[in-house]
Amino acid sequence: MIDRLTAALGRSRADYTEIRVERSWSTAVTFRGPRLESATASEDQGGFVRALTAGGGWGVASFTSLDRLEAMVARAVELSRAVRVTPPIRLADVAPHRAEAILDLDGDVRGVPIAEKKRLLEAYNGELLAVSDRVVDTLASYRDEVSDYWYVNSEGSALHELRPEVTLSGTAVARRDGTIEKGLESIGLRRGWSSVQDKAVGFREAAERAVQLLDAPMVTGGAYPVILDPELAGVFIHEAFGHLSEADFVYENPQAREMMTLGRRFGKPGLNVGDNGAAPGLRGTLPFDDEGTPTQDTPLIKEGILVGRLHSRETAATMGERATGNARAISFRHPPIVRMTNTYIANGRGSFEDLIRDVKLGVYACGAFGGQTLLENFSFTAAYGRMIRDGQLAELVKDVVLAGNLFQTLDRIDHIAGDFRWNQMGGGCGKGGQAPLPVTEGAPHVRIEEALVGGDVPSGSAT
Amino acid sequence: MAFEWGRLKAAGVAEEAGVNVRVRHRGRVGVAGTTAVAETTGVATDDVGAPLLDRALASAALGEELDLAFPAQAPLPGVATFFDRAADASLDDLIGIGRSLLEQLEREGCRVNVTIEREAAETRVANTAGAAGAYRSTAIGVSAELWRIAGDDVLAIGDTYEGADLPSDDALAALVRSVNLRLEHALRVVAPPEGALPVIFTPLGLSALMLPVTQALSGKAVLQGISPLAARVGEPVFDGRFSLTDDPLLVGRAASRPLDDECVHSRTTCLVERGVVQQFIYDLETATRARTHSTGHGQRSVFGKPVPGYTNIVLGDAGRGTRDGGDDLGGGLLRDVKDGLLVDELIGVGQGNVIGGAFSHPVALAYRVERGTISGRVKDAAVAGNAYDLWKRVGDFGNDGRWAGARYTASVLLDGVSVARR
Repeated sequence: MIDRLTAALGRSRADYTEIRVERSWSTAVTFRGPRLESATASEDQGGFVRALTAGGGWGVASFTSLDRLEAMVARAVELSRAVRVTPPIRLADVAPHRAEAILDLDGDVRGVPIAEKKRLLEAYNGELLAVSDRVVDTLASYRDEVSDYWYVNSEGSALHELRPEVTLSGTAVARRDGTIEKGLESIGLRRGWSSVQDKAVGFREAAERAVQLLDAPMVTGGAYPVILDPELAGVFIHEAFGHLSEADFVYENPQAREMMTLGRRFGKPGLNVGDNGAAPGLRGTLPFDDEGTPTQDTPLIKEGILVGRLHSRETAATMGERATGNARAISFRHPPIVRMTNTYIANGRGSFEDLIRDVKLGVYACGAFGGQTLLENFSFTAAYGRMIRDGQLAELVKDVVLAGNLFQTLDRIDHIAGDFRWNQMGGGCGKGGQAPLPVTEGAPHVRIEEALVGGDVPSGSAT
Repeated sequence: MAFEWGRLKAAGVAEEAGVNVRVRHRGRVGVAGTTAVAETTGVATDDVGAPLLDRALASAALGEELDLAFPAQAPLPGVATFFDRAADASLDDLIGIGRSLLEQLEREGCRVNVTIEREAAETRVANTAGAAGAYRSTAIGVSAELWRIAGDDVLAIGDTYEGADLPSDDALAALVRSVNLRLEHALRVVAPPEGALPVIFTPLGLSALMLPVTQALSGKAVLQGISPLAARVGEPVFDGRFSLTDDPLLVGRAASRPLDDECVHSRTTCLVERGVVQQFIYDLETATRARTHSTGHGQRSVFGKPVPGYTNIVLGDAGRGTRDGGDDLGGGLLRDVKDGLLVDELIGVGQGNVIGGAFSHPVALAYRVERGTISGRVKDAAVAGNAYDLWKRVGDFGNDGRWAGARYTASVLLDGVSVARR
């Protein structure tokens, strides 16, 4: 395949050409309540070409039929010429690499019969249902993929990778009368069949949480000191800050660039944030990005100061900075754009108890049901929370929604514990129509000295 | 193609062909898909067809028993889905549309992103009960987003055109007007009001109110036991002026088609009529389980099984309001509001337990309305309520009916929406 792609490159009349080809095998199994909703195995394949000509813009072509490779290379070159761009698009220098990365498939899922995958998920789904009569509905999902990936560019890079991925998730819906609560377990790994065995405990706990939440009161809305658990802290840093670090937001927008000037203070000393595409064994990790740039650990905030951003070759060249290996495409159907990989708040000092010890009244917010950032505002729903009273964990509470201004909230992080862990969750990141992109987040417990909590409105809702 | 931050940057093409097969074997149903098909004929090549069927059979072997009946051939409605002008538009034509939008939208201190997409497709569906259908379609999507960053204040205002044909000059002018109007009102920031207040939701801002209803009207939700409307057919659940229709036969809409992805012919489906729930949408599988008939809403991609999905959703009475509000926001509803909000976009719509109806979202783009006029933009506010409760008494519908994606509504004035400062 590399030879065929290199030959196609050779015929391109563009100044820069790159070709990506993927062939993937995947299986998806879903249970809804006690019923199997679907179990399907799919095969997908296709290619993507990008070309840059002198004075031209990006010419891009994707296709599912590999017979079209040569024709699409020509088309991409044509399109590049048709788009006149001033000043010209430049790419940061990256040394070409030739590499073969066959990742550990950890029990090749392609060799496991679909009936066995169904049995596995059926057992986990059963764990959700067995917890209580109050669990009235479940959604359990298993998805695996093995992807054969080839990349070549006209500067001499040639890469071949074989990558596995597996995600497992279960939502338990508990109901009592009109009240509905959910518990979620979600796992996403760049591994195979072996790594999804023995996951029953997590599913059971998710269902137990849903049942417990039925009896839990709604949190009273207000401003509180809030401690985020590592899962929610990770989601927060990804949503509230990670996306601002993606250089395509600022590189050609002078006002945005001012907002994200290196050297600007974003938080207190002690706040350190980065994105590490090379962290071993994580779902967001790959040896190279989809432009052939080696991945790395990129510091973004150091002792509260903005020190870096995430780049593609184009954004790096425009801003006079170095490429960081963050140009990713979710599949051959899409161009690479600046994306996160494994984003983290670095380890601090102290234990969880140290964080709550001097909190008279606060909220411990745990797990993430979802989050959205729009401009400088964010909104997240925690999976559940616990009140903190006089330095101790107290009652379970629900409907813990955190919303606010992200600059203010980052600035109010006043204590970071020393219990860092990576969240190996399923789901993924969405941007520019490319979702869900495999990423992970990591963080220790984090305390925000004051944040707005709660979706309920003091003046009463309409009935 | 894409104009990024005011510059034309990229032009691309994508070609895709795929086949999805569903089989019924010994009373069980399975599905498989592949993109390994011959480009020109869309027929699975010989060395692909047999493995594809094998995978479908393997999938069926695991399935539950389902007495799924494939529909026989029925006459198909004529609906124009392919527009030559759209299919034949050159790259330069499309670039021209983008440049024109940029010129009209760019202003001091602001940057504009524009993307334009043109799709031409051919869809063929057939089954072993003898039904078959095919149609070509075109779709055009134009989106423009204006960014204004002043210090830490970030404002992004955008709008889109979606249709089966190229946008007319009027349509593009409307897009520009929509962005400029909302931008002008947004330049002054005022404090939000608080309390149970009248709120006007624009056609773009109505999603939080519409999503619970459309989710609840899906036969799939009814079967799962999670639809609050399941047992309410024939009952007046909504305001008497609230009517909702799904219409796959509207000309000029990208979602229109003569038959669904399961060979069931398209027809207009009345979901709610004058406040009374009429029916739910079904595909073949959910209809079989519910012992009813498919409403022609089976949708599938190359991979995965068909599921019920909407086409063009029309909120009745929309745009036929008799108000005369000129061209300002709110479709003529402003003057009824002494102190309230006009909501154009909320953050986090679609998260949480949507179908239950309760929502609470910070505002992304909203304005304060005082004594019948917009006094300025509000930030740091949240609106909350229960969609089913709010739809029981509609204050009024505006006269500004328009398409927002595949949904046609006017602005809607609802009373008693909770507004809180954050």
